Order: sequence, then C-alpha cells, then structure tokens
Amino acid sequence: MEQTINYIYNKIEAINPIHSKKLKKNIAFFDERYDKLADAFFKKYIQILQLQNKTLDYAIDCYLQMIADVNSETIEFLRTGKYTSSTFEEVNQRVYARPETMEYYMHGLIMSQFLWKHHYQMLDYFINTLPGYRNKTKSYLEIGVGHGLYLSKALEILDDKTTLTAVDISRTSIALAKSFINDDRIAYNLENIYDYNNGEKFDFITLGEVLEHVENPLQLLLKIYGLLSDNGVLFFTTPTNAPAIDHIYLFNNVNEIQAIIKAAGFEIESERSFLSEEVSPEKAEKFKIAILYGAFVKKAKITQ
Amino acid sequence: MNRSEILKTVNEVFIDILDDESLVLTEETSANDVEDWDSLNHIQIVVAVEKQFKIRFTSQEILSWKTVGEMISSISSKTL
Ligand SMILES: C[S@@+](CC[C@H](N)C(=O)[O-])C[C@H]1O[C@@H](n2cnc3c(N)ncnc32)[C@H](O)[C@@H]1O
Repeated sequence: MEQTINYIYNKIEAINPIHSKKLKKNIAFFDERYDKLADAFFKKYIQILQLQNKTLDYAIDCYLQMIADVNSETIEFLRTGKYTSSTFEEVNQRVYARPETMEYYMHGLIMSQFLWKHHYQMLDYFINTLPGYRNKTKSYLEIGVGHGLYLSKALEILDDKTTLTAVDISRTSIALAKSFINDDRIAYNLENIYDYNNGEKFDFITLGEVLEHVENPLQLLLKIYGLLSDNGVLFFTTPTNAPAIDHIYLFNNVNEIQAIIKAAGFEIESERSFLSEEVSPEKAEKFKIAILYGAFVKKAKITQ
Repeated sequence: MNRSEILKTVNEVFIDILDDESLVLTEETSANDVEDWDSLNHIQIVVAVEKQFKIRFTSQEILSWKTVGEMISSISSKTL
C-alpha cells in the first residue's frame, strides 16, 4: 500500500513539483483509518484499471489533467470573482456529454478522494455516520453518482435487503460506477435528475458535489424533498469558492449553503466543514479557499 | 520599469502572499528554493502580480516559468 501511495507521490513530484508540495502537506492528516481505506481502494481500483487495459500511470495523468483544469479555472475565478460557466447547457456540452473530458475528470476525481485531505475527511464522515441510519433505510438513492465511490461504501454499510438506485446524467459516470461496483443490486439510471421520477420515495438520498452543478440549487433541493420519504434523510456535500470546469453555482460561504437548506424545508442533523488547504481562517478568507461542506439533513417538523 | 524595479515589486507580492518578510528573491530563484511556493500560492502570486502591474498572463506563460527571472521577462514584455 505505502508502495502505491509513494509511487503516486513520486510520479506527481516528477511531473508537477509545485503541486506535489501541496499534496505532501496533506499526509499529516492521514491516520490509520486512512491507510486501511486507501489500501482497499487502490487494490480494487488498480484491478479495475487493468480490466480496461489501463494502468495507475493513466489514472495519475487523469488526475494531473484535472489539476491543470482546476488551476486555470482558479486563476479566472480570482480575476473575475465568478465561475467561467453559468448555464447547465454550457457545462453539459463542455463536460458531461464529452466522454474524453468526463473520462479523465472522473478518474481524476476518484484519485482525489484519497489524495486530498478534505475529500478523504468527507468520505470518512460519511462512512462513520451512515451506519446510524442503517435500520431506517429500506431504499437508497444516489444522485450524481459519478465515479461510484460513495455508493460502493453505502453498499457495504447498508442492509442486504435495501434497494439501491443511482442516477447520473453522464454516460461516462454510469459506466465507471458500474465497473467500480459491479453489483446487480443497483438500478442505474442515465438521466437528468430533474427528469427522474418513477413515483418511488426514498428513505435515504445522497447528493455528493452536485448542488454547485445546477443553475438553481434551491429548485434541486425541492425536487429532492419530493423524492424523500417523510422521515427520510438527505446527505449532501457541496463546496464554496471551488472553480471547476463544470461548476456553475457559486456559494460564497457556508452560511449561504445552510440558508438554502432551510429554505428548502430541511433541518440539519449534523454537519461538517473542511478547508481544502491547510491555511489559517484569515488566509482562507483572503485567498477565497474552498471549503467542502457536508451535512445529514431531514425534513423540518412544521411547528405551529 | 526596468528589471530590477520589477523584481522589487514582485518580491513585495511574494512577501505578502507567502507571509514571509525575510524573503529575498533573485532572478534565479525557483520554486525549489522557496518552501512555501506551492500550487496554491503560485496561483495567488500570479493573480496578485497581474493586478499589481495591470496585465494579463496567458496560460502558456504561467506554466512556462521556471524562475522568477522568467516571470519578470513576461511582465517586462507587457509593461513596455
Ligand atoms: C463532481 S461529480 C460528483 C461525484 C461524486 N458524487 C462525488 O461526490 O465525488 C458530479 C456528478 O453529477 C453528475 N450530474 C451533474 N448534473 C446532473 C444532473 N442534473 N442530473 C444528474 N446527474 C448530474 C455529473 O455527471 C457527475 O457525474
């Protein structure tokens, strides 16, 4: 395992030394739980790459390509204060509907789950909190399943009889999630979430890094409210100040996210905020450093 | 502005972004010589230098610099 991680770090250092400095700062946060999780992940991931005649080097290239995108988007964001795209149609053309882009993006993103401190911390939060909802969850839906890592963990944690459904607008994401999970229990739907409706209500919904991809996050949350059973729980994550090729809605701070959750009729059961860089709060604000916010929320009781 | 004046201004930007008053840059300084010059700070430096000199770099330029001197050459070609 250490071998794999070291291999990745060395390769990145050779190709992009400036970025490698940032990654090395993350190592300090990785504990024993990380080692176990990352170990299991990379074993499985390398096998899947091999099945597709790809190597770990391919995945590292994908990751660095994603980093190059993030860097140029960040420069533009710092210049203008805005994300470069503002409509769903733009990012659909530019990203979701373009397999060449989506392919490196999703491989890059899955690598980042174990290379970025805040991505690992969020996954860890999910894995540690989901078991508390195991008994109440008979049906599970993930929206914007992407690479499938979160769904693979839900599959491990939830009861064998729980039904699992995944929705994603990108063919590439669905294919990657399928290859990563490879389990008949999951019903995959290649669809825009706004078009998805088969009348079913879900006890648990996961929405990982999707809110910033829609023009109107409140509208998406209202849609989800409708898909959730009365006592159902939504786990969602979304970043502030996180320029990327397919981000269109800018949350300037965590308060804005919390406000929208409340406006959609939810109340927060538990929440976390993780800074994407190891800097002081003052510097984070000055530099507009991304914060990844995640929360477990449920329908607010109407008190009158 | 001549190169040494540009270097002086660039040095001030680095000091501000990296929070290091003692930092002394030369044209030969590279990211290897400055511990905190990582990807995050690099991007912040690029945008702060642009604002300071009222110029825009191209993405090729940003990727091509190996030393402070090369950055100064880019600035100098735009502030003539
Ligand atoms: C940034 S990825 C997130 C992947 C994963 N959930 C995670 O948290 O790392 C966003 C995913 O949402 C999908 N997506 C974006 N907009 C969507 C929409 N309107 N309906 C369904 N899926 C969407 C994209 O195709 C992509 O796979």
